[in-house]
Amino acid sequence: MSSVLYILDENLETLISKNIKAVPSLEYPIAQFKKLYGSNAPPVIDYHDLFTFTYIQRDSLLFVSVVDRVDTGLVETLVYLEHFYEVLKNYLGVKVLDKNIVTDNSVLISELIEETIDFGAIQVTDSGLLADYIKMKVNLPERVGESADLGASSDSDSDSDHPGKHKHKHKHKHKGKGKKGAQTGMGDSEKNEIEDLTQRAKKITGDPLMLLGGSKKKKNKKKLVNDLDFLMQEEEEFNFLNSDIAKTTIMPISWRTKGIHYAKNEFFLNVIEKVEYFMDFTQNVIKKNLIHGEIRCKCFLSGMPNLKVSINKIVNEDKQFLANCKFHQCVSLASLESSDHKDVEFVPPDGEFTLCRYELKRHVRDEPMVKLVNFEVKPKLKKFKLKLLLTIETHFKTTNATSKLALRVPIKQLFREYRVDLSKNLKSKCDRGAILFNISDDFLLWEVGSMSGGHGETQLSMGVEFALFNQEEYDREQEMLKTSMNPPPLREGPKLEELYKQIHEDDDDDDGNTEPVAEHRLQPRTREIDKLLTMDFEVPYCTSSGLRVEYLKIEEPQLEYQSFPWVRYTTLSDAEYAYLIY
Amino acid sequence: MSDQRIFARYKASEIRTDLQTIDVKKIKSSVTKRKHALRKIIANLTLGNYVEMVVLFPDILKFWQIEDDLEVKRICHEYVRTIGALKPRFVIDAMPSIRNDLRSNNEQLQIMALETLVGIPFFKFTDEAFNFIMTMINKRSSSPALMKSAVYSLLQLDEWDHERVMTLLGVLHGIFEDHVGLPTVQVAALKTLYTLHDKTKNLKPLHISVDTALDLLGLIPQLNEWDVSNLLECLVTVVVPQTHDDSYDMIDIVLPQLQHVNTSVALKSLEFIVYLLNYVDEISETVVDRLSNSILTLLEKPPELQFLILRNIILLLLTREKPVVKLEVSYFFVEYNDPIYIKDTKLECLYLLANSNTLPQILDELEQYSTDIDIQMSRKAVRAIGNLAVKLGAEAAETCVDVLMNLLEFGVDYVVQEIISVFRNILRRYPDRFQSDVRAIVEYIDCAQVAESKNAMIWIICNYSHLLPNYIELFEVFCSNIKSETLDVQFSILNSAIKFFVRDPSPRLENMCLRLFNFLTEDVNNPDLRSRAFLYWRLLSISKERVDILTPEVLKEIVDGELPVIELNTKLDQNVLEELELNIGTVTSVYLKPTGQIFHTAKTKHLKDSPVLNSEKGHLKIIKQDENEGPKYETTLENKGVIRQKLQRNSTMNDYDRPAEKVNELKGKRKSSTNNASKLARKPSLLMRKFSLKKKF
Repeated sequence: MSSVLYILDENLETLISKNIKAVPSLEYPIAQFKKLYGSNAPPVIDYHDLFTFTYIQRDSLLFVSVVDRVDTGLVETLVYLEHFYEVLKNYLGVKVLDKNIVTDNSVLISELIEETIDFGAIQVTDSGLLADYIKMKVNLPERVGESADLGASSDSDSDSDHPGKHKHKHKHKHKGKGKKGAQTGMGDSEKNEIEDLTQRAKKITGDPLMLLGGSKKKKNKKKLVNDLDFLMQEEEEFNFLNSDIAKTTIMPISWRTKGIHYAKNEFFLNVIEKVEYFMDFTQNVIKKNLIHGEIRCKCFLSGMPNLKVSINKIVNEDKQFLANCKFHQCVSLASLESSDHKDVEFVPPDGEFTLCRYELKRHVRDEPMVKLVNFEVKPKLKKFKLKLLLTIETHFKTTNATSKLALRVPIKQLFREYRVDLSKNLKSKCDRGAILFNISDDFLLWEVGSMSGGHGETQLSMGVEFALFNQEEYDREQEMLKTSMNPPPLREGPKLEELYKQIHEDDDDDDGNTEPVAEHRLQPRTREIDKLLTMDFEVPYCTSSGLRVEYLKIEEPQLEYQSFPWVRYTTLSDAEYAYLIY
Repeated sequence: MSDQRIFARYKASEIRTDLQTIDVKKIKSSVTKRKHALRKIIANLTLGNYVEMVVLFPDILKFWQIEDDLEVKRICHEYVRTIGALKPRFVIDAMPSIRNDLRSNNEQLQIMALETLVGIPFFKFTDEAFNFIMTMINKRSSSPALMKSAVYSLLQLDEWDHERVMTLLGVLHGIFEDHVGLPTVQVAALKTLYTLHDKTKNLKPLHISVDTALDLLGLIPQLNEWDVSNLLECLVTVVVPQTHDDSYDMIDIVLPQLQHVNTSVALKSLEFIVYLLNYVDEISETVVDRLSNSILTLLEKPPELQFLILRNIILLLLTREKPVVKLEVSYFFVEYNDPIYIKDTKLECLYLLANSNTLPQILDELEQYSTDIDIQMSRKAVRAIGNLAVKLGAEAAETCVDVLMNLLEFGVDYVVQEIISVFRNILRRYPDRFQSDVRAIVEYIDCAQVAESKNAMIWIICNYSHLLPNYIELFEVFCSNIKSETLDVQFSILNSAIKFFVRDPSPRLENMCLRLFNFLTEDVNNPDLRSRAFLYWRLLSISKERVDILTPEVLKEIVDGELPVIELNTKLDQNVLEELELNIGTVTSVYLKPTGQIFHTAKTKHLKDSPVLNSEKGHLKIIKQDENEGPKYETTLENKGVIRQKLQRNSTMNDYDRPAEKVNELKGKRKSSTNNASKLARKPSLLMRKFSLKKKF
C-alpha cells in the first residue's frame, strides 16, 4: 500500500506528488530516494526502517511509490505502477509520455491517482472505466500544421484558451438521453461528431445558421466546434454527473457500463502472433523459437452482449496453450475449464481490449516462418573482391504472402576484417526488392516486400560485392597522379569512403566522451547487434501456431440486433528475430 | 497550448489578482481562467511553495461555497488536504464546506469529503469522520462505493485514533461475514481487518473459518481484479484448513486464477496455493505443472516485475527441499540487454537450480558470461562456477574446474583474479583433488592484484607448497611488498610465513619471519595485526627455548592445523524459511530476510496449527499421472465443476470413491459433442462469413 506517489522526470525533479496517507512531509522521502537512486539500482530500494521505494522507469519518467511502515505488498504496488502508466498513456492519448505532458495535465493525473487508489488500497486501473469517472479535458501541446485534423482518438482540443471540448461529456449525455442518434464511437470520423454537435447546437440555440458551418471547409468546422463548446459549456456543467455510472466498479461486471449504444454493432477480433527466433547460424544451433500471441479485440456493441469464442486450441485441449494463456478479467476463468463445450465466454468491455495473451514454445524442428538458408562471405583476394551472398526461404502456406519483409545484414564485422575500398562502387543484385546500404550504422537493408509462402521451395537470394583495397593499384594511381599533368579522373555520386571516414571518426569521439555508465550500458548492445542478421516481416491471414477461431457468436438477449463479427490473423516478427552470422 | 506557465512558482498576490479580476465579470471565459488560477495553486503546492499558498485560504473558501463544478471542488479538497497535513488547525474554517459536501447527494463528492476529513490529523476532523462512518454503517442502505471508501478510511483513521477504530472491529467482522453485502465491500472489510490486525501488536492474528473463506472464494467471479488480489492476500494464514479436503477444495477454486492477466492476482494465487500445500499430504503433478507454467509466463513482463518474480522464484526454490515447481533452466539464461539487477537474480536462480542433470547446460552458459564484456557480469559468472563446484560434489566439481581452467587461458586480468579466488574455495572443499591444477594457477601469480585474489594466492602457495619447488621465491615477492598491502593481505602473509617456518625451520625462513615481526611490531599501526605478530613471536621463541613445554608437534598443530572442509550453506533456519514462504510477493522476497529483520515493527507470520499441518515440508508427495486412470487433470476439473455449481465443500470426498471410468466415459461423450458443435458451426451463413473475412481487412 503506497503512502505517497511521485512522478519524477529524468533529472529526478518532482512533477507530481500525491499524498495518499497524509504523510507529514512530501519532500523528505523523495529527497532520500534521490540519494539512493542510481542507474543500476533494483526496482525496490529500502531506506532504513522508514520507507521502501518501489519504482518503474518508463519513457523518460520515473514512477515512484513510497511505502512506509510495515506494509509490504510489493507486487501490487509494482503492478499498479505499471497499470497506472498504461492508464496515463490511454488517457492522454499519447504513445510516449514526457515531462511536459505530465505537468500540463497535473490536475487530471492527481485525479486519476485519487480514483485508482483509495487510502492505499488499489481500486480500478481500467482506463475504459475510469473514463466514466473522470471527464477532464486533456491538455496536449499544439502540433503545428496539424490543428485541422483533430484525431478522433485524442480527446484533445488543441487550444486550451478556449473552453475544452469534452468529448466524454458528450458521449455521456447521449447515454443519459438514450434516444439521440448514433453514439460516437472510437473509430468514428470527425465528421460524425461535427454533425452530432451541430444537431445539438440547433437544439440549444435554435439558430439554423450554425448548421451551415457543418458543411463548410475543415477549418471552419473546427472553429465551429469551439463555438459550440462555448455555447454548450453552460449546459454541460449541470449534466456533469451521472450517478448510474459510478456503480460500475462495484457491480459484478465491473468492466462494462450499462446503456452503451451503437448504430452498427461490430466486433473485431485480431489474432496477432509475434514470433521470436534466435539461431546461431555459425554453429547451426537454434536458441529460441517462441511465439508471443495476443488476441486483441475492438468492441462496438450495444447493450450487454454475451460473446462466445471457440478457439481450436482450447477445443483440442492443447496442453501447452492452456497452461500458457492469460485471459482478460472479463473472461470467467472457472467457466473456461469446467464448461462442457469449451468456448471462451465473456461480456466484453467497450472499446479496445486484449482478450488473452499466450506464450508458446515451438519445437526446435519447426521451421521458422522466414528462414535463412545460406549466408556466405566469399573473399576473392586475388581479384580484390569480397562477395556476400545470402538466401532465404519461406515456411508457411503458399496461399499467404508477407506484406512486408526486410532484412538487416550487419557488415561492421566485414569492415573490420577486410579493408573495403568504398571508393569503388559496390555491386548488388537481388531477386526482389531493393538493397540499401546504411553507411552510418554499417548494415545492408534488403527490402524484399512481398514474398509468397511455401515450404522451402520459394527462395530468394541476394548478393553484394565489395571492392577490397588494392595497395598496388593505389600506389600506381598515386604515382600516375604525381607524374601526369591530367587532372584526377572525375567521379560522380557521393564519395562513400569519405562519408564513411567522417561518420566513424565521429563515433570514436563520441565513445570517448560519453560517461562511463552510459558506455557501459551501450557497449554490449552495439557489439551484439553487429553480429545479428535481423528480419522484420508481417504475414497477414496466418498464425504460426495454427490457432484458429472456430466461431464467434454474439448474443444480446434484450436488444437482439444484427451484429458483425470480424476475425483477422497476423503473424509478425518479434523484436528479436535474428540469426547470429559471425 | 501548453500549460507550462502553470508550473512555475507564483506569489500569492499574483494568483489572487487572477482570481479576483475575473470575479467581476460573469462571462464563461472567466470560469476557465479562474480554474486556471486554481490549477496554479495546486501546481505550486506540488512545487512545495506552501508559504505563499497558505495566504490564499480565504479565497479558496469563497470559491468553495459558490462553485458547483466538480473540478473546482476537487482542487479545494486537494488544497485543504495538502495544507491540512502540515497545519491541521489552520484549515478548521473549511469544516462547514466539507460538511456540506458530505451531506450532498453526489456520491463522488461525499467520498472526496470523507477523504479530506480522514486526511487531516486533527481531532475535530477525525470526530466528524467517525460520526459519518457510524451513521453510514447504521443506515445500511448507503451506496456501496461510499461504504467501501468508508471501510478503507478506517485504515488511515487508525493512525489518528487507534482506540476508536478498535471498537469498530466487530462491525467489520459483521460486514464480511454478511452474505447479503456486496462482494467488494466484503473484501474491503476483510482487507481492512487484516491490515489492522497486522499492524496492531497486541491483537491476535485474524482468523476466519474455512466456511467463510470458501464463501468468499466463491465470490471471485464477481470481483474486480484488485479485489481478487486483496482477497487472496488476506486469506494466507488467516484461514486454516482443518482437513485435507478443505485445502484441496480451496486449491481447486484458486487454480484458474493463476491464469489471470493481472500479475498481482496471479502471484497472490500462487502464494495462497503454496500456503495451502502445507496442509495437504499429496498433490497431483498437474498442480505442479500449472504452478510452474504460470511462473514462467509471468517472466514475460517488464523488467521491474520480472525482477520481483525472479526473487520469488528464488524464495520458492530455497524454501522447499523438493521444489513444488519444475522450472527449465533455459528461462534463466541471461540476455545481453537485461538490467544488472535481473542478471544478478538470474545467476542466483541458475545457481539454485543446478543439479547434476542441468550442470552441463548451466556451465555452458556461465562460461559464455565469463567472457562477457561487462566486467561485473563476468566476475559474477566465474564466482558462480566456483560456487557450483563447491555445492554439487566431487563429480560436478571436476567439470567445473575444467571450465575454470579453460577460462584461465582466456587470460583477462579480472577473470583470472576471480578464478584464483574461487579456486581456493574449491581446494578447501576438496583438499586432495585438483592438485594437478595448482601449478597452473600459481603461474598466474602476477595477475593477482586485488586483495581477495592475493589472499587466495598466498593461501594456495602456503598450503600446497609441497607441489611448488620454488614456493619460497614466490612467497618472498609478497613479503617484500607487505608495506603497501591491505590489512587482510598482511594478516595472511604473516600467517603463511609462520606456517612455512614451522614446517621447515631453515635459517632463510627464520630470517624472513624475523623481518616480518620487526616490521609488523614496529611500523604497523593496526593493534590487531601488531598483537597477532607479538603472539606468534612469543610462541616461536617459547618453542625454541623450552621444548619441554611446547613441542614442535604441538606448535605445528596450533599454527598449521588441519582445516575443516567448507560447505556452502544455503539452508536457512526452518522458521525463517516458513516465514519467507508466507511472504511471497512482499518486500521479504527481495531481501530474502524475515520481515522482522527489515521492519522491526512488523509482525511475523506463522503457519497455524491444524490437524493436517505437515510437520516437514519434504513430506509432500507429488503424484504422477496414472495413464490407466485417464488424465487426472480432467477428473479434478470435473470435481471443480461440481464445487462451482453447488458450492458444497465435501464434494471431492464424495466423488473420490466412485469409479473413475464412469467419469471418463462422460468425458468422452462430451468431447464428441463438442466436435459436433464445431461442425455445426459451419452453417452456410457462417461459412460465408469466414470467406468474406479476408477481404474486409
